[in-house]
Amino acid sequence: MATLDELIKLPGAMAAFEFRGSGELLGQRIAYPERIDESTLDLLAHMCAANMSIATMQARGWEKVTHMKGFYPIQEFTLVGFDWSVVVSGLDRERLKHQGETNLPPFMGVVLANEKADYEAAFATMEKLEPAS
Amino acid sequence: MSIVTDLLAKPGIIAAGEYAYRGDRFSYRGTLSEEHARMASIMCRATTMGTNMEGRMLEVLQPRSGLFPPRGWVVRGSDYTVCVMANVFCMLDNAKGSINDTIDFMRQALVKVSSDLI
Repeated sequence: MATLDELIKLPGAMAAFEFRGSGELLGQRIAYPERIDESTLDLLAHMCAANMSIATMQARGWEKVTHMKGFYPIQEFTLVGFDWSVVVSGLDRERLKHQGETNLPPFMGVVLANEKADYEAAFATMEKLEPAS
Repeated sequence: MSIVTDLLAKPGIIAAGEYAYRGDRFSYRGTLSEEHARMASIMCRATTMGTNMEGRMLEVLQPRSGLFPPRGWVVRGSDYTVCVMANVFCMLDNAKGSINDTIDFMRQALVKVSSDLI
């Protein structure tokens, strides 16, 4: 599971945050406090929770109707703004759900400056597995 | 060439299309049936409307945020990714295409498209 400290080191990272499935902000790292603050991240976390839920519902429905597989579960949702993007991952939660866990970790998110953003690097960081102990 | 033609020429893109913001028409090319393409365009339009509402709300809270105006969104599944910028959507096979290249291409190709109609 990626940590906030790993996410904030991604190219172009403005902020990293974690939040509950219901949207509450649980923690954050902010690289540019003059551009983005905790209050903004709190609203953003609620938006990301909503978008993950809607995307999950759509992927589920799409697979049922079309019989095309490979959309569900959602691994990441990315919102692309004019200068920044937000990438959110729930893959760790899905892995644990698949294993029968009920105590799930938070969603992770990172705000990236578009001109430096490497989306695939963000996905890879968020999807990395813990080393076997 | 249209952006849909350009997208379909890229590795891994299995389908691409456009929809009207007002919801009364769509077009597509690629390996989807007409019925499934219609469903995809409706879902893409609905999510685009939602993300634009969110972007406007965020702009009120924090003016000049880099997230405003929203340009698009991306949903990544285990095998396929849906990329939407403005009123253009595409589906990408994760194993054959690049999400970075697709997002960069769509952002640049659609940078001048106004969101006033949303």
